Amino acid sequence: MKYLYVGATAETDREALTAIGSFLSAQFQLPLREMDLPSVDFAFDARRNQYGSIAVLELTSRLCPDDAIKLVAVTERDLFIPVLTFVFGHAQLGGRAAVISLARLRQEFYGLEPNRPILLDRACKEALHEAGHTFGLVHCADHGCAMSLSTRVQQIDQKRAAFCLACSRRLVRGVIT
Amino acid sequence: MKTHWRILVVDDEAVMCESLAAWLREDGYAVDTASSGHQAVEMARTTDYAIYFVDLKMPGGMDGIETMMQIRRLRPDASIIIITAYATVDTAITAMKEGAQEYIVKPCNPEEISLLVSRIIKVKNLQRENTILRMKLTRQYHFRDVISKSACMRAILDLAAEVASLPSTVLILGDSGTGKELIARAIHYSGQRAAKPFVAVSCAALAETLLESELFGYEKGAFTGADHQKRGKFELADGGTIFLDEIGDISPKLQVDLLRVLQDRTFYRLGGTEEVRVDARVIAATHVDLRQAIADGKFREDLFYRLNVIEIRIPPLRERREDIPLLAQHFVERFAHELGKEISELSEGALKMLMDYNWPGNVRELENAIERAMVTCRGHSLTEEHFAFLAQNGAHAKGLTIPAGMSIQEMEKLLIVSTLQAVDGNIKEAAARLGIDRSTLYEKIKKYEIPR
Repeated sequence: MKYLYVGATAETDREALTAIGSFLSAQFQLPLREMDLPSVDFAFDARRNQYGSIAVLELTSRLCPDDAIKLVAVTERDLFIPVLTFVFGHAQLGGRAAVISLARLRQEFYGLEPNRPILLDRACKEALHEAGHTFGLVHCADHGCAMSLSTRVQQIDQKRAAFCLACSRRLVRGVIT
Repeated sequence: MKTHWRILVVDDEAVMCESLAAWLREDGYAVDTASSGHQAVEMARTTDYAIYFVDLKMPGGMDGIETMMQIRRLRPDASIIIITAYATVDTAITAMKEGAQEYIVKPCNPEEISLLVSRIIKVKNLQRENTILRMKLTRQYHFRDVISKSACMRAILDLAAEVASLPSTVLILGDSGTGKELIARAIHYSGQRAAKPFVAVSCAALAETLLESELFGYEKGAFTGADHQKRGKFELADGGTIFLDEIGDISPKLQVDLLRVLQDRTFYRLGGTEEVRVDARVIAATHVDLRQAIADGKFREDLFYRLNVIEIRIPPLRERREDIPLLAQHFVERFAHELGKEISELSEGALKMLMDYNWPGNVRELENAIERAMVTCRGHSLTEEHFAFLAQNGAHAKGLTIPAGMSIQEMEKLLIVSTLQAVDGNIKEAAARLGIDRSTLYEKIKKYEIPR
């Protein structure tokens, strides 16, 4: 039997991990397993005060269990790729591993009061988005679709926690194999 | 339809290169990478990238500016974005002066790159639409617009390009739908007469007297209803080219008139006494075997030799099957644009069906088949089921009984009757299945006296 795995580093909000796991399991209708992931401190870049998401994604990929269809890693660390100032998440397009960061999904990152429902809503959408990439989906032009590109949290808030009809069809037609 | 636009990321740092490429791929673009300026230039030679992201500082004797300049020489329409971690005003000015579309400093905001790429692609989509519309408007075609990789077609195009600058008469032979008019237009628009008119006349579509007045014009009072003088197609083509399609179908009288124009470059308008002199290059075309028509006494030998100064024979599609995937993909892209559908590919099974089909109506039939399949397609790729009608076409053809001794004309009539029956007399559908124009079908129905 194959499972959808969600994994978290030690510092990560466990309630968020559980919410993400349940949500993804229901969305993809796959049995769920949780796992612990080691620290990602090795990916720390002192110059940028951020964590390299390529290295974190490589680690996630290496740790992906044999019985995993996909592994979505969750971390509190702020992630980046060299050419960009940050990323909310990162995935292997058509691969098995994805990682999301909760750092910029929190209201407090923008100097606002913490808000748990907003954090969990954003985390689930971002996890669904990155998981969608691992199933081969690319960005969608429908701004309401979970696969639409978000470069600001406001865009995450505006989209639905679900795929649009076209992306759902693509997923059903050939992506899950 | 983002995958139609290819992007090349050029950076000597593999991690930088791959991370940007991966990010753009998530956005749905087809992205390649190059680790040096030299490699990028080589890749630009073979692939037409829409956007190049080029790192400013690269070792190996070719920095980003030099790479950009070489790419721009090869691909003047490409959009080049210079990226650098070490921004200075001087380098920014140099980059923009040398033709960079944008200059961005890394790391940059994801939104900035996303907006930049979508803005460039939006402009490129508009440019492409503009080109297509302009081509449609003026119906100007050049040899580069003829899609083929077959050796025989390349030889034909080379010959056509050679004769484009000559004044000689050209006779284009080929089955219906092979693209005779396309070649004629390419000859005209590649020669010295390109700025002058290209006038096409379908000789099969008009009755003898009508064709005569169409070609040579008439004087006021020449016949009932001729209430003003009218210039004919030969006069309208003065300085340019007149394309006489289906020349094999013209009457003996018109053959004589045409011979005189070709010999003397002069003619009289209907009902006129004044000699009209024209300088129009004649390109004629036919699907008829003119040598056989001469042997049968239906076509003048002297006219044939006047027309046949340069002969170009276009092979039917079934004799150059290697062009089918190329043409099919071209039509998919064109109709996706015209029909506003996000269809970008053909499945392997569909392509095999197209390769196996006999294409009696040639490229036009293939064009019609792709359009028909795309109208019914709801997904992103055309599959075998969308071309099921081709199997039906084949089945209808197989269902025909062709007794030995039947002439080609009788067989053609039988096929038309059978096709019309299969589509309940729908001319448009029948023409599409037969791969011929509706006007050609009407002509044949008239010629064979097929009841409707």
